[in-house]
Amino acid sequence: MAAVDAILLAMFLAALHKHSGIIQLVIALVALAANYVYFSKRTMPFKFLLPGLILLTLFVVIPVVYTVEMSFFNYQSGNIITKDAAVTQLINNGLTPDAANTSYDMVLGTDNGGFTALLTNPATHISYIANEKMVVVLNPGEFKTNSKGDAISVPGFKPYTPDEEANLDSVISNAKFPLPNGDFIQPQDTSSASLLTQSVHYDPATGLLKNAATGKTYKDNGNGNFANVDNPKDLLYPGWKSFSKFQNYAHLLSDPNIRGPFIGVFVWTFCFASITVILMFGFGLLLAIALEQKLRFKRFYRSIVILPYAIPSFMSILIWKGMFNTQFGAVNALFHSHIDFFDSPWLARGMVLIVNLWLGLPYFYLISTGALQAIPADLEEAAEMDGATSTQILRQIKLPLLLQILAPLLISSFAFNFNNFNLIYLLTGGGPTDALHGQTAGATDILITYTYKTAFNGANQNYGSASAISMLIFLIVASLSLWSLRRSRVLDLVS
Amino acid sequence: MATQAVKRHKGRISKGHLIAHSYIWVIILFVLFPIYVVIESSFNPTGLLNSGSFIPTQFSWANYHLLLTDPHVPFLRWIFNSILLATGNAVIAVFIGGASAFAFSRMKFRGRKIGLQALLLVQVFPSFLALAAIYVMMERVYTVFPAIGLGSLGGLLLIYLGGSMGVNIWLLRGYIDTIPMELDEAARIDGASTPQVYWLIFFPLAAPVLAVTALLAFIGTFNEFILASIFLTDVHQRTVAVGLNSFVGAQFGQNWGPFAAGSLMASIPLVILFLSLQRFIIGGLTQGATKG
Repeated sequence: MAAVDAILLAMFLAALHKHSGIIQLVIALVALAANYVYFSKRTMPFKFLLPGLILLTLFVVIPVVYTVEMSFFNYQSGNIITKDAAVTQLINNGLTPDAANTSYDMVLGTDNGGFTALLTNPATHISYIANEKMVVVLNPGEFKTNSKGDAISVPGFKPYTPDEEANLDSVISNAKFPLPNGDFIQPQDTSSASLLTQSVHYDPATGLLKNAATGKTYKDNGNGNFANVDNPKDLLYPGWKSFSKFQNYAHLLSDPNIRGPFIGVFVWTFCFASITVILMFGFGLLLAIALEQKLRFKRFYRSIVILPYAIPSFMSILIWKGMFNTQFGAVNALFHSHIDFFDSPWLARGMVLIVNLWLGLPYFYLISTGALQAIPADLEEAAEMDGATSTQILRQIKLPLLLQILAPLLISSFAFNFNNFNLIYLLTGGGPTDALHGQTAGATDILITYTYKTAFNGANQNYGSASAISMLIFLIVASLSLWSLRRSRVLDLVS
Repeated sequence: MATQAVKRHKGRISKGHLIAHSYIWVIILFVLFPIYVVIESSFNPTGLLNSGSFIPTQFSWANYHLLLTDPHVPFLRWIFNSILLATGNAVIAVFIGGASAFAFSRMKFRGRKIGLQALLLVQVFPSFLALAAIYVMMERVYTVFPAIGLGSLGGLLLIYLGGSMGVNIWLLRGYIDTIPMELDEAARIDGASTPQVYWLIFFPLAAPVLAVTALLAFIGTFNEFILASIFLTDVHQRTVAVGLNSFVGAQFGQNWGPFAAGSLMASIPLVILFLSLQRFIIGGLTQGATKG
């Protein structure tokens, strides 16, 4: 316990050092809970529960809550930072060279240890000594000049060697020497600087942002950006992460750029999950029935048939991807053809179903066998006595019973395939995508791969929209699972 | 009449057998097709299958050699990362999950019922659905603790542990419920404390189901792709799933042979593990089938 406390304390101090408020709070809470639970005598159950609870809370509950939160925010590329940071950046971006393009010759060095520049305006031959607090005019005689008349030395000033300058690269490129009127002199490289004037002004009282150079006025549009007062579509970037109510959800249905692909993906996800379960169940059940009979080599057949279940699935998917390759793939070699399975939407969809059948067949064979064996043998005998044929027995007695036994597993398999990211992402990457016509979703994209693309692929990362789709998937999968749990009465067992 | 009926009956059986046999063989060919192709290409120095011939003509270890020695493809490192993550997740999940499951199964405390129901709900939410949130969160953790933040195996392990905890607790609790109550009552009469009951009675008794839970967690982690792919960017930190995908994704034609060799090497341990433990795993599956 002492060791745990020591580690937590060290982590807390590290977080304190970085001014990371939320992380500090989390660590403090964990430490308090752990100390209370393991030192008190009345908390025996929680001595067992705590580690699991902490892991669940930190890495499942908090991300879920955060997902819900993000789904209500305008949170995407260009709208990531806070409003204050966005204003600061906009003001920085508002620095522009002055009308005359004034520039200076510059010598960098230290003056009594501080970062200092000697600047000379080659047009006026006025020299300055500047640091990041102020710029002061040097009187003639106070400094030594070179042949061009540029100031190169004052008493106490020590110029940098080229090596030192190379090491100070980031300091130099970020340095700004402020003039009394609000303008800046900024280094362009290690030997020259230019005069920048501030064209953007922000008034915190009115919330207005004015650009003196263009004469435009911008106002907070309530959705994470400053917008031109005269033209609301003229937005300034960067914006900030801002609360947008149900906009992310509404856009899924109203924004034509999002709605089209979203509905297509939605329909295909349902089709894919149901067709794949029906196929796997059909073939798996037939296999179970076939292997129920008295056959030679039955054990041998069984162990071959369940092989796909033992091979890591991501590997199998990548292997199939190679097998369907146009030029050298084994499938094309088998049929002496050159079909590009990854280019045609329908071939790609068929391919996805075939590969998934290969992956899922063993599981469905196994659960069907289990269920067939769970059906009492006397039922079959009784039906035989009444003169039923084996087809009749299968169709009218075994199948309904099987469906009843297997319903929860079929549902959970549907839910699994509804989110079968590995299969789609590794096999087709969601493609083929008609990028020429501006499509963002491919023919085989399912909701979860589309979410992934929305959140992480491409130049525009939209966390808000991705979270909204995640919430939708969760609602669908959760209601399916709850329904099947209720059916199988697992919930009653709890109480 | 009687003999005729018997004959017809026999004829039907053999016909049924024939159909069954041919169906089984179609499935077996379907199942074996990619496995055969991979084995064949892994030993084929050209790594290609465009000749149209499926009978191996050449044999060499070149693909294996290339994969194990190419400095740009740290294959062994990927395998090591995957095994590290999978073992870490399996072992820790069983210890922590087992303790929680024990508390839910055997102890009375306020919030037990709500806790169990919440657990069910959490279990339904796959952790990769929150991937955007996890990404942003771990990005922030990285600024304070690089060792468990974005891009680190440690951070990924924590997320896997959290994500699998719900299922594991639920699975283990079901099993502990079936261990008779009399056993711990007897131990208590002999003066055992609760932790003693847990360590000396439950842990050994639940060993088989703990092993299966650990194995399932191991396989699940080994196969996980989505979180690992957004999480691990450095080529040396990758898991074998992420690494092989980027390796083969870059140049399928050229890398197919070494890829086949790599997938065989990575699969064989798992296949052996699976086949030797299949009795337990399949037992768990069919139990699920009848219990729901």
